[in-house]
Amino acid sequence: MSSVQTTAPHSSLFFGELRKLPAFARRDLLVAWSYRGAFFGEWIGLLTGAFTFYFVGLMVDPKTLPSFGGNHASYMEFVAAGIALGAFVQLGLGRVGAALRGEQLMGTLESLLMTPTSISTIQVGSAAYDLIYVPIRTALFFVILALTFGLTFEPSGIGPAVLSLLLFIPFVWGLGVMSAAITLTFRQGSGAFALGVSGLIIGSGAFFPLQLLPHWISSIARFNPVTLAVNGVRAPLLGGGWGGIWPDALLLAPVSVATLALGLYAFRLALRREQRRGTLGLY
Amino acid sequence: MPVTTSHRPATSAALNAERVIEALDVSRRFGAKRALDGVSLSVARGEIGALLGPNGAGKTTLLRILCGLLDPHAGSVRVMGFDARHSPRELRQRIGLIPSGDRSFYLRISGLENLVFFARLHGLSRRAAVSRSLEVLEVVGLRGAERQRAGTYSHGMQKRLSVARALLLEPAVMLIDEATHDLDPEGGRQVRELVSDLARRGAAVLWATQRLDEIRGFADSVTLISEGEMRFAGSVPELMSHALPQRYLLRVQNGSESGKALEPLLQAALADIGTISIAADGGADDFVLSLREHTALGDALRSLLDADVQIYACREEQSQIEDAFIRLTASSGPPS
Repeated sequence: MSSVQTTAPHSSLFFGELRKLPAFARRDLLVAWSYRGAFFGEWIGLLTGAFTFYFVGLMVDPKTLPSFGGNHASYMEFVAAGIALGAFVQLGLGRVGAALRGEQLMGTLESLLMTPTSISTIQVGSAAYDLIYVPIRTALFFVILALTFGLTFEPSGIGPAVLSLLLFIPFVWGLGVMSAAITLTFRQGSGAFALGVSGLIIGSGAFFPLQLLPHWISSIARFNPVTLAVNGVRAPLLGGGWGGIWPDALLLAPVSVATLALGLYAFRLALRREQRRGTLGLY
Repeated sequence: MPVTTSHRPATSAALNAERVIEALDVSRRFGAKRALDGVSLSVARGEIGALLGPNGAGKTTLLRILCGLLDPHAGSVRVMGFDARHSPRELRQRIGLIPSGDRSFYLRISGLENLVFFARLHGLSRRAAVSRSLEVLEVVGLRGAERQRAGTYSHGMQKRLSVARALLLEPAVMLIDEATHDLDPEGGRQVRELVSDLARRGAAVLWATQRLDEIRGFADSVTLISEGEMRFAGSVPELMSHALPQRYLLRVQNGSESGKALEPLLQAALADIGTISIAADGGADDFVLSLREHTALGDALRSLLDADVQIYACREEQSQIEDAFIRLTASSGPPS
């Protein structure tokens, strides 16, 4: 019989768990690639949406839009960050939320839990592919928009925009895991959760300036994490430089970390409850 | 309900290092439904223990408790000395599980990629995972199909893939849930052979099944459960001792006599060795012979031959082990 080490130092355990993450990413890449139609269809849908916004933008007078670094951007330039971040939230949330539920539906969740892999690794691993793919997709989307519609973005704003995007990832991930916890517990409810998230996106200034909303809503929406992320991407790309992002970034960072921590905790509780009740395999 | 047992397993004092799988008075409910009620068993190193029971007996529940996927409401469970509730990582490094269903693989990726993924979750590097996966695929006869998507595998192939996954790390403990119920006889024989081989190399195997034909000549011990309760614990021959008096189907002739007319003559020839009656669903020459306890089939046949009865066929009507199973799992309980 094989002899297996019974105890390992924490650092060795940590790196051992870390080494498992590429296996999750590879698995999900292979699964995503096996659905080529959906893979490309998603891009076609995104570009179709962009074209729609382009034609809507032709009717919008840039002077009615906020200025960034003293420049008035076109509506298409204004909304690009909104489309990208909106898709980022929808996709990230949908996939992270669905990943573990998908494992449950496929019956593979128990197989995963039968391996000597921590719950945290399974949670991170299930989102690993999307945490890599979705930001790359968002960046690619900006490049394609710029080339297709002749949009101008400030090169000096790329760094701050990427930072804002990185700060936003834990928020989206945390919401996704929270959604997974709700679905695991109630077997439904992800629809209501997605509705709430759509509200967050609409009330974020992604597609129109917040000033158009009633004052009391816009003053609340100012602290919406999606607003903070949209501003953190949009302002530097259109106005350039790092200066404008710090107030939003300093607000977004703790909210993101707290959301992720809460999401992971909620999922752990949900999983433990299912194990206790013996209903993990039920769907 | 009383347990019929020849060696009641796993009192806490008896637990020792050789007993690799130990369950002591395990109970579990699902809402109002009692899935397990005070079930105990133990399996030693190198032993194959059969967990026998009809559908819904609680076999899968017990296996899930043993591997830490489910908590018991009462009782204790130790596998290789680890409590499933408190040492899941240590436990899972040592357990190979073959679940009953097919829904345990990623159907959109190949059989090989599935195994490599699970091997990596057991801590193997990618190179080692690929190498080991190919080895076990060879062992279970799936080489050549390793690049096919798991979703295109037949039930039998998926089951063999399941076996391959359990073999990835040469587990010290194998928990097997209805491993052969959807395999053809040859596939089932191959899986049993693989498991026997693993046990010969020292693994403790718990084999849950409802198929009686699997355990004779294969399992070292049997725990029979029904409706969540233990009905028997002991060896296969001890289980068979709970069978009803043996029953055989005979095809006989005696000159021109047949059917009902022949019955009194046959009974007279048998005297008190057993009883004989015309088979309900057979032809005019088919009879059911029921032997009394402690009588030999040979004596009965000799008595019939002495009475000038020609015996054209004789076969066991129902296996003894099946009889025992039915008696012990009947809701009225085991025989007194």
